[in-house]
Amino acid sequence: MVKKRKQQKGLAYSRTAFLYLLPAFVLMAIFILYPMLNTIIVSSKYDYRFLTGEFAEFSFKHYVEIIKDPIFRRACLNTVFMVFVCVPASMLSALLVALGLQSIKKFRNFLATLYYLPQVTNVIAAGFVFALIFNNNFGLLNMLLERLGFEPVAWISGVGISGSQVLYNKSYMRCLFVLFTYSMWQGLSLKVILFLGGLSSINPQYYQAARIDGTSKWNVFRKITLPLLSPTTLYVYVTSSITAFKSYSAVVALFGDSYGPAGDNTKMMITLVGYIMDQLGDYLKPGAVSMASTAAVMLLFIIMVLTALQLKITHRRVHY
Amino acid sequence: MKERIFKLGTVIFLILVVLLVLIPFYWMIATALKSEAEALRTPPTIIPVAMQFRNFITALELAPFLKYFFNTVIVSFFVVLISTTVSVLAAFAFSRLEFAGKTFLFSVVLTTMMVPQEMLIITNFATIAHWGWMNSYQALIFPFCVNAFHIYLLRQNMMQIPNELYIAARIDGLSNFRFLIKVVFPQVKSSIYTVMLLSLIWIWNTYAWPNLVTTQDSMRLVSNGLKNVFTQNAGVIQYELQMASATMVTIPLVIVFICFRKYILSGVVKGGIKG
Repeated sequence: MVKKRKQQKGLAYSRTAFLYLLPAFVLMAIFILYPMLNTIIVSSKYDYRFLTGEFAEFSFKHYVEIIKDPIFRRACLNTVFMVFVCVPASMLSALLVALGLQSIKKFRNFLATLYYLPQVTNVIAAGFVFALIFNNNFGLLNMLLERLGFEPVAWISGVGISGSQVLYNKSYMRCLFVLFTYSMWQGLSLKVILFLGGLSSINPQYYQAARIDGTSKWNVFRKITLPLLSPTTLYVYVTSSITAFKSYSAVVALFGDSYGPAGDNTKMMITLVGYIMDQLGDYLKPGAVSMASTAAVMLLFIIMVLTALQLKITHRRVHY
Repeated sequence: MKERIFKLGTVIFLILVVLLVLIPFYWMIATALKSEAEALRTPPTIIPVAMQFRNFITALELAPFLKYFFNTVIVSFFVVLISTTVSVLAAFAFSRLEFAGKTFLFSVVLTTMMVPQEMLIITNFATIAHWGWMNSYQALIFPFCVNAFHIYLLRQNMMQIPNELYIAARIDGLSNFRFLIKVVFPQVKSSIYTVMLLSLIWIWNTYAWPNLVTTQDSMRLVSNGLKNVFTQNAGVIQYELQMASATMVTIPLVIVFICFRKYILSGVVKGGIKG
């Protein structure tokens, strides 16, 4: 938390300060600030042509068109799944793991290091490994299922889905499950470390007092740990949601450049960022870049609302 | 007694989760060591029957992985060097110097922390294309050279340095720049390592941007190189080679992480969204 400091005494007014800031601000102006404004402007240029810069008119039609675009809706649906299903599920398991780690002394750091490994693993490499584990014929999961006496499942398969809505939905559910498993694996690591940090900052006196009173473990968790951990929980939720809203590489690695199993032509597993990249790939098509910009502006809006919400709640709830 | 059962349960749970986390790593390495026929066997073998260490060499021969590694190392080196310098300088100005518009400029930095990279890609792509920088190292390096979070992290650390040191240094006639080099730098060394390592991890794993600005195979980085190799003709994936290359891409960062765990995790806890 940034505490607003009073004007520091003894700081000399520096005429050369701008020299220190120049490199950072030149780079920011070119690669962050200008692109930000430009994206907003381009999103309102109708029929914008990327190469010549020509456009028909300024309007907000794209914002209407994009909402009607079935692929954009699909992207939103998948992203919502990531944010509202995958994030809470991995948070819950991360909290359990962090509580477990907190209660043991030996090997705590060693285990925490192992849990963190997915976070430093290349996203594409990890996505490929999961695609292979879920492979219909020679995947690890189907082998285990068969050994346990279950039928193997065609996890990532688009056979017959273009003709039948039932098969399509079935295939979609399975792909979601693959994505869910991947994001549980990938997301656990960071959250465990953050929760561990939050748990260790709780004053041990509360626990001592609870022990003297003979409070049960469940009540200690409910009445002490959970409330005192809430700033961390909120922080983890917001940062993870932001990351989830931006997911892209993993989906490409898991399902390929067409964002779906072979045989699917609806871009079944596309995400918001996937939508942006997809439109951008079509940059020669008039209007495609504006659509990408429109989606990007919406993404920025969502992230700003989330961040503002977090700041507002933390300011209200964190006491010093 | 109840206490001990609870403890045992906790340990079993933790070990179970570790196993689940490690399975994909095991499967990656195990598949990387299988022969082509064994990799396509149904049901798959859990332990490779005959270890094929040659797969790693074959993968290197079939695809320009050494070139991807070389590119990634070059790009990471310059990004780490430039972005760290840029961040240290800016953080120093924000923490130690007084100038007009300081609060405003710092709030600009904080605001850019919120902006998703994905939003910037569109215009940056146009800028790079306009400058004729497609398929160049510059295109891969410069957009990564400024990071608001790193400026913020370093500034927070530099604020901890007692002001008396600064006043004493000024009385001794040390210029601002010499103060930065002689006094500030050694004090915030560990945060500088954190920032450098976070940049390195970021470059190593970044996919979308390099994929957009490199169309030539010879300019690719490990992530988009890995994505495009062995998967080009759909349907025929040589899994053992794909996994061998995935292993080679993964191992360097895992080693870096294990060696510099402390610095990386401290940065993460202080608020790194990016892994």
